[in-house]
Amino acid sequence: MISLFSKRLGRLALASSFAASSFLLGQNAGAPPQTTNPAVQTPSVPRQDSKATTAAPDTDTYPPELVKNGQDIFGQNCGFCHGKDAGGGESGPDLTRSQLVSQDVKGNKIGDVVRNGRPEKGMPRFNLPEMDMAAIVAFIHDQKTKAERKKGGRRGVDVSDLQTGNLEEGKKYFAANCASCHSAAGDLKGVASRFQGLRLEQRFLYPRDATGNVTVTLPSGKQVTGKLAYQDEFVIGLKDSYGWYQSWPVSSVKFTIDNPAEAHHTLLTKYSDDDIHNLMAFLQTLK
Amino acid sequence: MNFSRFFLSLAAVSSLFGQGLNPADLLKPPKDSWPAYHGDYSGMRHSPLTQVTPDNVHQLSLAWAFQTGVITNLKATPLLVNGILYFTSPDNVWAVDARSGHQLWHYSYPANKGFHIGHRGVSMYGDWLFYTTPDAHLLSLNAKDGTVRWNVALADAKAGYWSTMSPLVIGNHVLVGVSGDFDNLSGFLRSIDPETGKTQWQWDSVPPAGTPGATTGGMTWMTGTYDPDLKLLYWGTGNPTPVLTGKPRPGDNLYTCSIVALNPDTGKLVWSFQPSPHDTHDWDAVETPVLYDGDFDGKLRKLLMQASRNGYFFVLDRTTGKSLLTKPFGPVNWSKGVDKDGRPIPNPDKEPTPDGRLIAPDEGGLTNYRAPSFDPKTGLFVVSAKPSYSIYFSKPADGTYGWSGADYSVWSKAVLEAIDYKTGDIRWEHELGPGGAGAGVMTTASGLTFTGDSHGNALAIDTATGKTLWHAGTGAPIQSSPVTYELDGSQYVLIGSGGVLFAWRLPENATPKTSATDQ
Repeated sequence: MISLFSKRLGRLALASSFAASSFLLGQNAGAPPQTTNPAVQTPSVPRQDSKATTAAPDTDTYPPELVKNGQDIFGQNCGFCHGKDAGGGESGPDLTRSQLVSQDVKGNKIGDVVRNGRPEKGMPRFNLPEMDMAAIVAFIHDQKTKAERKKGGRRGVDVSDLQTGNLEEGKKYFAANCASCHSAAGDLKGVASRFQGLRLEQRFLYPRDATGNVTVTLPSGKQVTGKLAYQDEFVIGLKDSYGWYQSWPVSSVKFTIDNPAEAHHTLLTKYSDDDIHNLMAFLQTLK
Repeated sequence: MNFSRFFLSLAAVSSLFGQGLNPADLLKPPKDSWPAYHGDYSGMRHSPLTQVTPDNVHQLSLAWAFQTGVITNLKATPLLVNGILYFTSPDNVWAVDARSGHQLWHYSYPANKGFHIGHRGVSMYGDWLFYTTPDAHLLSLNAKDGTVRWNVALADAKAGYWSTMSPLVIGNHVLVGVSGDFDNLSGFLRSIDPETGKTQWQWDSVPPAGTPGATTGGMTWMTGTYDPDLKLLYWGTGNPTPVLTGKPRPGDNLYTCSIVALNPDTGKLVWSFQPSPHDTHDWDAVETPVLYDGDFDGKLRKLLMQASRNGYFFVLDRTTGKSLLTKPFGPVNWSKGVDKDGRPIPNPDKEPTPDGRLIAPDEGGLTNYRAPSFDPKTGLFVVSAKPSYSIYFSKPADGTYGWSGADYSVWSKAVLEAIDYKTGDIRWEHELGPGGAGAGVMTTASGLTFTGDSHGNALAIDTATGKTLWHAGTGAPIQSSPVTYELDGSQYVLIGSGGVLFAWRLPENATPKTSATDQ
């Protein structure tokens, strides 16, 4: 059972750094579109396991006793946020509709998330024995299979639920509010092929994994520029063009941050619900 | 026994409690103690200690760190009684020497199937500790060695109840609440005899589950406060169920999302106020009902203040429950204003729908279980806020049991806010980072505010200005609220972070060790 889960620490960080360069950053306009679909990524560092990027979704069945055991462990550790049935709870998403779960093969993706957490989304890390992890993975896949078999009236957010907007109004809204950074024929070309339904809506409301660029001016006058990698009241950190992390005490340097995603936050304070649904109708046409 | 007579008799026989906690001490806690979840009955989490000041706090250094060895986020407020700290995580209780940080005993509760999401701490009466469990039991432990004295079931864990809260001890009443909003269950507050574990009374927040048209919910999962002069206890109740759809439960859904005033001897309701009528966003009104006697509109009043999860700051007259002030303390877009009684009016267009509604704040709320603090000198109510937006969904296929929908937070950040209690205006804001910060707040009479940012830095802040004066990285997101006490002439500040409890104090040779005004 232990062999089910090879440790791939760092996978999560890798995945999020790809995602950071995804479609909603204005400065990427004109650059080849990057996606968060691992099957078409071009990793910049060697992968330990190429199988995970090409494997078919996990449709294996799991032994009932492992699933039952997983139900208990999932309930204690994960159920509050993700729901006792993995269909979503307080603040945690519906795992039966999760893209990561659909790409998971025997825990190769779920395991990383559980062990490392998702600090940016408030998910803590869990240090569970391998047997418990295997049971949780079995339970999640079993719940996903059960949910998908349910004919009609499925719980959770379907793509079909999000079709209440007006295309023409959405086009107008885009022209007035989004076109200063984005272009339907440029950076957003094909966006509706890369993201659908709730994922598309979440991303345009706020691209959570987008990071800004920072320019740090050292006491010597030298400037260092890179992707913002850390910032609190006391320390500023960036990833430079060589991929190295560097940090300084904020008291000894000057810095400027350019974060185009902040414009999405400004819109959150202005949207009507109709604006969101109309914009959704328009963005879905960008296939 | 009536508790005022009970307290009188305690004074006469205090030797009965030996090294343990005399419940009369909860009325005026000694400075070498933190004998209850909020430190005292007021919920102000404001310490009279002044050794650590804005001028010397930069010298604060580590006294010790206790490593639980458990992968958990400590959410407990430790108790300090007679030099011993008692604190918890789900299924675990520790007793630790407050001088050295070494373990005296560790109690571990047998494996069970309840939610293991956090635990807020034990409470104490005499030689006995009281500990709630993930499967909704209440244990009485011997404070000397952690052995189990008795174990009573509070509710049926199989039905979906659990408990994480630290009970409130008033006289000879141990007041215990429960959680359980993943199922359509009824909330209650129960008074338990500290000696026998027998129920003294129970107050039900809603009609019995199954009552046609009635709501369920109203869980009682946070510790309340108490006014010994009015002889009223104050408790916040949780959201109604089903959570994200209000269709099967028309009306206000009393007493969910409410602040209630109860008689501690009988459990009879004296008044109630509802911060969120007919809630459909999971905004429990369980945040600390903070008690303060102060000026309001030129009159000295007995006040109750709550910064509520739904985004509003409320000030009530706690004698009558009448509203004095209702004002948002961050982005709020779900109401149509405030009614004549000071209650927000929910906008039906902002109830969750199949195609989604953008709501501020998100489900975690503008604040949550992390404790706020009130500083009487500045009149500032200091709260760790989380301005946030979320999309809320609910459709017929989601049913009418338990969650009945879903919400997806799209953006949030953490901000420490200092609210002027007389106006609800925000006097200063201090950014705490992206996402949200889980640390509670404590203020001290020397003018300091202790809390944590979203990166895991413990912070000491100038209460008057909001400026940072000291910090220490703790290595994990802080999910607990700070406490302070004085032992052997040294003031300690404690914060739990990750699985570690940190204790800081001034170095032996710190200058100045007395108040800064002596300089």
